[in-house]
Amino acid sequence: MTDSERKGAVLPAAKEPGDAVLDFLRLVMEKKLADAVILPLKVPSGDSYAWILMNDISLLDDAVPIAATMPVHGAKALRSLTRKGPGNLTVIAVMRPCEIRAAMELEKLGQVHPDNLILATYDCPGAVQLQKYVDDPAGSEKLFTEMMQKGKPDDSAKPVCHYCENFSMFDSDIHFGHLGLSDKEMFVIPGSSKGSKFLEELGLTPAVDLSAWEEGIDKLKTDRKKARKSAFEETGVQLRGIDGLLSVFANCIGCHNCQSACPICYCRLCYFDSETAEQNPDALIIAAEKRGGISLPEDRILFHTGRMAHMSLSCVSCGQCSDACPVSIPVAGVFSYIADQTQRTFEYIAGRNDGDPLPLRQFRKSELPGVHELVKDADAEVSSHE
Amino acid sequence: MKKEFTPRITSFLCKWCSYTGADLAGTARLQYPTSIIPIQVMCSSRVDPVFLIKAFLNGSDGVLIGGCHPGDCHYETGNYHARRRFAIVKSVFDSLGLESKRLKLSWISASEGPKFARVANEYTEEIMKLGENPTRKSIFL
Repeated sequence: MTDSERKGAVLPAAKEPGDAVLDFLRLVMEKKLADAVILPLKVPSGDSYAWILMNDISLLDDAVPIAATMPVHGAKALRSLTRKGPGNLTVIAVMRPCEIRAAMELEKLGQVHPDNLILATYDCPGAVQLQKYVDDPAGSEKLFTEMMQKGKPDDSAKPVCHYCENFSMFDSDIHFGHLGLSDKEMFVIPGSSKGSKFLEELGLTPAVDLSAWEEGIDKLKTDRKKARKSAFEETGVQLRGIDGLLSVFANCIGCHNCQSACPICYCRLCYFDSETAEQNPDALIIAAEKRGGISLPEDRILFHTGRMAHMSLSCVSCGQCSDACPVSIPVAGVFSYIADQTQRTFEYIAGRNDGDPLPLRQFRKSELPGVHELVKDADAEVSSHE
Repeated sequence: MKKEFTPRITSFLCKWCSYTGADLAGTARLQYPTSIIPIQVMCSSRVDPVFLIKAFLNGSDGVLIGGCHPGDCHYETGNYHARRRFAIVKSVFDSLGLESKRLKLSWISASEGPKFARVANEYTEEIMKLGENPTRKSIFL
């Protein structure tokens, strides 16, 4: 479906964008088009949200489809639901675009099976940093409401949200568009054939022209692009060389929170937590003798650079790693910057659901000139074997 | 007297081609520098990005991967995958402003003893020009 052909349906007016989504979900449940819904619900203490898989329609009254912050990444919820297979029941989930993008990457890794999932996204203004939200839930909610109205992140939002270009429709089945629309109305837009069919069964025919909404989104995207460029330039300068790397990760305490909060890092046993990474004392003492000394626990920088090489191709820049860092290292900014470049190497965009496998799962016989020497000879070699 | 700088080049060589090529260079009595520290791997695609980074951070002045020529892989496609993995590490190094010249991927077949000696000589010279790896001195890694 090209952008110009894209049409949407209008949802009945509601007080807040979140309420319009809830009305939509009530309709879905009443018409029995889905067996369950996955939505964030405020935890009893009131200072965080949890993903709840609910099939009791009355629980929808307390749900907050567009939550101010992201404590647990949505892709992790989808993974725990469908890791072993798609299941027989239809489940609809409303999440941030970066959560759906991460779920798409997990699908390519065989960790999420979205066959019977209806994945819905909304125009995300950004998410409040988790620590800020926990410190002041009521104040953060207020700030988030303002962010929703303006469509722009403020200082309380995660730094990566300020230059996220994929904050709107991005390969989800259904998208709720509200940015740039004056009154409390909301568009519901099908993003896949599955989504079109679902809306059709629901009796919502997408017939409305979306140009006003699309213009608003494009304008925001242009601003974000600029912000992205300048943020990356800054990160690039900070990271220059081994000394730059050491200074950015200087106060890393080696807790590996960034890794466990990352929706993409899915390995059951990470190399860095494995026995292989443990060294015998003599080897460490020899290493220390050669340099005069080494820091313990060892491999602090290797952990971060190794992770960059292992998962930056699938990084969707959701910012969970920065939220999880207890010593405020701008992990997400660094990974976003690295991911931008590694993904460009393979002309790959993480989170796309276009049937392309992960770059490491495929190859072309003739590619990546300059990576190894004698490219021409190698090509000649290939053709002689074909 | 100042000690002359001898580079250390950690070399991951695939069992079927490059390692055998290195063997051939030896049995043919071809000269190549002692800077090459060979590690036999079953396939160039066995070399995880972390191997390269670890070798680099632990003070190797150069890291070499030797694999079969494209199309010749004992496991049919291993070296194509190795090339992609290598490209990621190179891209990460370039983004971080680390010297990606210290990483090298080369295709050396089992019959190419002279080529192995040549690559070893040329790469050692290249690394000599770059000088010692700055990570050799760093204690906060």
